[in-house]
Amino acid sequence: MPMTLFADADALLRCEKSYRVGRGPVPWRGLIVLLLVGGWTYGAAMGAYGGRPLQMLYSASKVPLLLVASTLVVLPNFFVVNTLLGLRDDLGAALRAVLAAQATVAVALAAMAPLALFIYASTNDYDSVTVGNGVIFAMATLSGQVTLNRHYRPLVARDPAHAIAKRMWLVLYVFVAIQLAWVLRPFIGALEMPTAFLRDDAWGNAYVAIIRKVTRFFIG
Amino acid sequence: MGKLFRDFDALLRGKFTRREDLLAGRIDVPVGTLVRAGLLLGATYGLFMGLYAVLRPENPSWLQLIVTTVKVPLLFLLTLVVTFPSLYVFSALANSRLRHLDTVKLLLAAIGVNLGLLASFGPVTGFFTLSTDSYPFMLFLNIVFFAISGLVGLGFPRRAVDSVFSPAPVSRVQSDLDESPEEGRDHDSPADEGASGDDADASDAPPPERQIIHTATMSPRPSEASARGRQIFGIWLFIYAIVGAQMGWILRPFVGSPDLPFELFRERESNFFAALLNTIEQLLY
Repeated sequence: MPMTLFADADALLRCEKSYRVGRGPVPWRGLIVLLLVGGWTYGAAMGAYGGRPLQMLYSASKVPLLLVASTLVVLPNFFVVNTLLGLRDDLGAALRAVLAAQATVAVALAAMAPLALFIYASTNDYDSVTVGNGVIFAMATLSGQVTLNRHYRPLVARDPAHAIAKRMWLVLYVFVAIQLAWVLRPFIGALEMPTAFLRDDAWGNAYVAIIRKVTRFFIG
Repeated sequence: MGKLFRDFDALLRGKFTRREDLLAGRIDVPVGTLVRAGLLLGATYGLFMGLYAVLRPENPSWLQLIVTTVKVPLLFLLTLVVTFPSLYVFSALANSRLRHLDTVKLLLAAIGVNLGLLASFGPVTGFFTLSTDSYPFMLFLNIVFFAISGLVGLGFPRRAVDSVFSPAPVSRVQSDLDESPEEGRDHDSPADEGASGDDADASDAPPPERQIIHTATMSPRPSEASARGRQIFGIWLFIYAIVGAQMGWILRPFVGSPDLPFELFRERESNFFAALLNTIEQLLY
């Protein structure tokens, strides 16, 4: 099983075999397994900051949830946008592209789990580990972008409207994912806070918090 | 239900608004299906929009959910009723090829696309409703989704404008002229003989004299006609956007302020744009 998983991850990163660029059936099973295993692995590492097994378990379940739920919320719009742009004939290939990108994010996160543990081992400062995790997520997202661009290159060459569909997907996906990450916090688990699946004030709004912080910064 | 989705899918794919159909001045959109699909899609978004009123901690209201589900399709329907006459008059003045029923069909198609895109934002609205308690944010998010889907939906007939306002194809002008008895009698030129002869190519190609009539007196040049069509459509789009926004203000509440009790309609006061600025201010502080 682990060898199959590695072979699958390798094929995904290289866009080979069932993960090849272009049309064909979406390899649902492989993509879901990679997404779950990758997310679990990094989530467990992310929650290891305080050395609390329960927080590790919570974070391990929340990272795949973040990736899957963000995708599911945005998919209806992706479908309509592709149809409106006259790209329905390529929908299978476009779907393969976005799902492969999501799985790539999970695989990249898993690959950077040792990095997160290394950061935890080297500092106790909560702000530093938050920034470290932020950078890792940003790098994983860029890795996902590489896969997305590989899949989209022939599609855009065939019809430039695919570039619009891809951009709309990215904007809406990031918009939803940031809010979902805010709702699903804590992922790291500050030492002075009790272990919890969700914070007591989880149902806030990331954007309102950011806007108010920025306003206070500039206006006071 | 299956036919409803198939027809709506065909609309999104642009199968009912092919360039050749528009050039011929017809739109074969099944109106009944389109209206039903529009109502269903509007109600779907209304359901997600009204969810905030049920889930808010203060004054939760199921009535608001039901009312918003009805109000969203109503908003589009009433805006169409208010703005359609002006579009029809403007476009008829500009020699649009579409008659009033076809103009209605084109606008219904555009509103269908608008509602389809709006409904596809529904899960995102639902997700933010579940995860935030900020009323100004929810208002602003809904305004943004309405604006995006409106721009895309109304961009849909904009693409059709060039076809609708471009001059009639030469062959059609030719056949119109051929049907005129006077024209048939008056023209005995060799070119006419060629047109009535056995040679199919010759009959398809209009005689040089008639091409001159067509381009010089019957229609403006294609680029001029399209530019005029675009201008008219731009004016109508502006009117539609203003009326739609203010119609939304008149029909409010849609989301339902947590500080106020449920009301079918709020008092007539202020306007949409003042309220939008107020919402942004509340978001900032």
